Amino acid sequence: MALPAALSKRDPGSGNSMRQPQFIRSNTFHWALAVAGVFAVFVTVLFGFIYWQIDDYLTARSDAVITAQMDGIAGLSPDRRRDAMDERLREDPRGVQISAIFAADGHRLTGNIESLPPLLRIDAPAQSTDIIRIDRNGREHQVIRAVARRMRNGDVLVLGRNVDEAGEISHVVGQALGLGLLPGFFLCLLAGAWLSVRAQKRVEEVNQRVQRIIAGDLRERLPHRTVDEPFSRLAVIVNGMLDEMETMIHALAGVGNDIAHDLRTPLTRARLSLERGRTNARTLEQLQAVADKAITGIDQSLTIITALLRLAEIENSRRSAGFGSVALDEMLREVCDIYEPIAENKKVGLHVRVTHRLMVRGDRDLLLEAVANLVDNAIKFTPEGGRVDIELLRGDSETIVRVADTGCGISEHERDAVLRRFYRSDKMRHTPGVGLGLSLVAAIVKLHGFRLAISSGSGCRVEIICPDREDGKKGPLARLTKAGQAAGS
Amino acid sequence: MASVSGKRMIPGLRNAGTANAFAAVENELMVKVLLIEDDSETAEEITAELADRGFDVEWSANGIEGLDKARALRPDAMIVDRLLPGMDGLTIIEALRKDQMRTPVLVLSALGAVDDRVRGLRMGGDDYLTKPFAVVELIARIEALLRRPTESRETTLRVGPLELDLIERTAKRGDRVIDLLPREFRLLEYMMQRSDQLLTRAMLLEEVWNYKFVPATNLVDVHMGRLRHKVDGPDEAPMIHNVRGAGFILRAAP
Repeated sequence: MALPAALSKRDPGSGNSMRQPQFIRSNTFHWALAVAGVFAVFVTVLFGFIYWQIDDYLTARSDAVITAQMDGIAGLSPDRRRDAMDERLREDPRGVQISAIFAADGHRLTGNIESLPPLLRIDAPAQSTDIIRIDRNGREHQVIRAVARRMRNGDVLVLGRNVDEAGEISHVVGQALGLGLLPGFFLCLLAGAWLSVRAQKRVEEVNQRVQRIIAGDLRERLPHRTVDEPFSRLAVIVNGMLDEMETMIHALAGVGNDIAHDLRTPLTRARLSLERGRTNARTLEQLQAVADKAITGIDQSLTIITALLRLAEIENSRRSAGFGSVALDEMLREVCDIYEPIAENKKVGLHVRVTHRLMVRGDRDLLLEAVANLVDNAIKFTPEGGRVDIELLRGDSETIVRVADTGCGISEHERDAVLRRFYRSDKMRHTPGVGLGLSLVAAIVKLHGFRLAISSGSGCRVEIICPDREDGKKGPLARLTKAGQAAGS
Repeated sequence: MASVSGKRMIPGLRNAGTANAFAAVENELMVKVLLIEDDSETAEEITAELADRGFDVEWSANGIEGLDKARALRPDAMIVDRLLPGMDGLTIIEALRKDQMRTPVLVLSALGAVDDRVRGLRMGGDDYLTKPFAVVELIARIEALLRRPTESRETTLRVGPLELDLIERTAKRGDRVIDLLPREFRLLEYMMQRSDQLLTRAMLLEEVWNYKFVPATNLVDVHMGRLRHKVDGPDEAPMIHNVRGAGFILRAAP
């Protein structure tokens, strides 16, 4: 809260908003307010439209009525006309009817209009006009709908109807507006406030849990209900992520322990020899021997660190910018060439079988490292007299690099484990190595979007499966060009 | 220990005459090396080691000062740390290259990332060494930079009794024909171009086999063992020497 407080000090205007309840400042509430506003405008427009429609309808109806009456009265004889007019006025308790007969010279013969309205067009359809109405109560200016017709004897007959009822209607409409709109508007605001408070509460709840997670309680999860609502779904998603992260963190902690252990062994040896050398060494040669031992130990630790960093580098790498076309056939021959003397020294037969020229898209150095690692491993774990085969095969829309040996193999339950960092099979405990080789291969293979398959033939068989890329033309993962050059070892 | 033995075996100081740098040493015109490194302890070690080998070392702990010194002193070689206060190591190299200074530069870095290495070399660095490194490795690389083989039109390489015909792809030691596999030929060619020079395993891996990583098995030793077996006959004086903990040297004279 320190920050908002500081802000309010600087800006007195924002001090007010600080005192407002939290929900009024919330986004949810603002939205509700906006919706209520739009609702109000909509209702007003709607009522206006209804009013206009009703007014129109009433006018049209009264026009039809007075026109019909005019037709009726006009067909009567002059005397009867006057009676009919008077009759019409008598039967009008609400005083909305207007009728009058004016003589040709313009003076009123009968009726409740003071004089013939000058703007009233004669023999025209019903129209609005201003008149002065006279009756027992006196004179009154009114706007009416009226129709005027000149009779054969020159008299002008005026029939009209006061349409001020529209005013009443507008009053009623206004009332309805007030009664309907205002509660609706406030309901909107209330709903907005409620939703806002509710969201606020849930955010606060989540915040508390998250704070606990930040504080280190990795088992804490966000609250969610079984109802299918966005907030709960979000919580479930986040919880899933937290599960994944918890597993990862535990795995990392495990790796950390492994690293610590693997580093401690050579470092302990280095320390011991230095300590003993310091006390016991009498000659320069003895001291040098001790230093040599210590350097070896430290170099071993450094090798592990370098390998780990390299692994992390490859695993985190998203780059494929440095990718180019790599001729796997050439690469395999190269690897074979390099490792041949090593295999020979160990009396292991190393053979490469490459029949086609196959290209993949990738980083040559990394792929070479991967294959070299596999071959290195294969030779290491193959007993004397055994053989290691490097093959380049073409499957259905995939290219396969296979390294098979006649060594001890990898048992079913160990297959996933060997890809883990620092894993060394019990059978191999006595074999030197850092135990990161296969994880490195796995990381490189993953970076390229290839697959690693471990199976057992007569010994162990590891395959790097490079599926063809879909966009066939650009960088075809495997371009098959029969080179017809079968390669020996 | 490694560095001590390496020091003793570095040939240049005694077998001078094969390269300008070492002729210069003999003429009391010491080879000038500029070291730009911000960690004073590392710098001290490197300076001491280089001074032991007869180099005239100038040290600068700051990028900007380092660049000024490089322009003023015109050193024969430079060792530049990648991350420096004041100015980045690569920026220094770039600036020098813009000034048309072709001084060979060895880039030091704690950043081992492959991309970084490539960038370092592209910016004009001549070689790249990742921390932590063995001092022998550093010295060997500096000497290699100072004695880079010049482009020659010679089709035959000669080191002592050893003769390599690059056209015919044949090798002879005296009158004895040495039967070499292509990979052995490549290795011997590289070594003959750099005779009397310490070649570390990492250098050989990078240059001869184009390996950008250190394999688990000691590949270099096995290959070198085979080559040595062929080059040095049973009753001949050995020419390929193993420097313990450091690498190998091909020497003209036994």
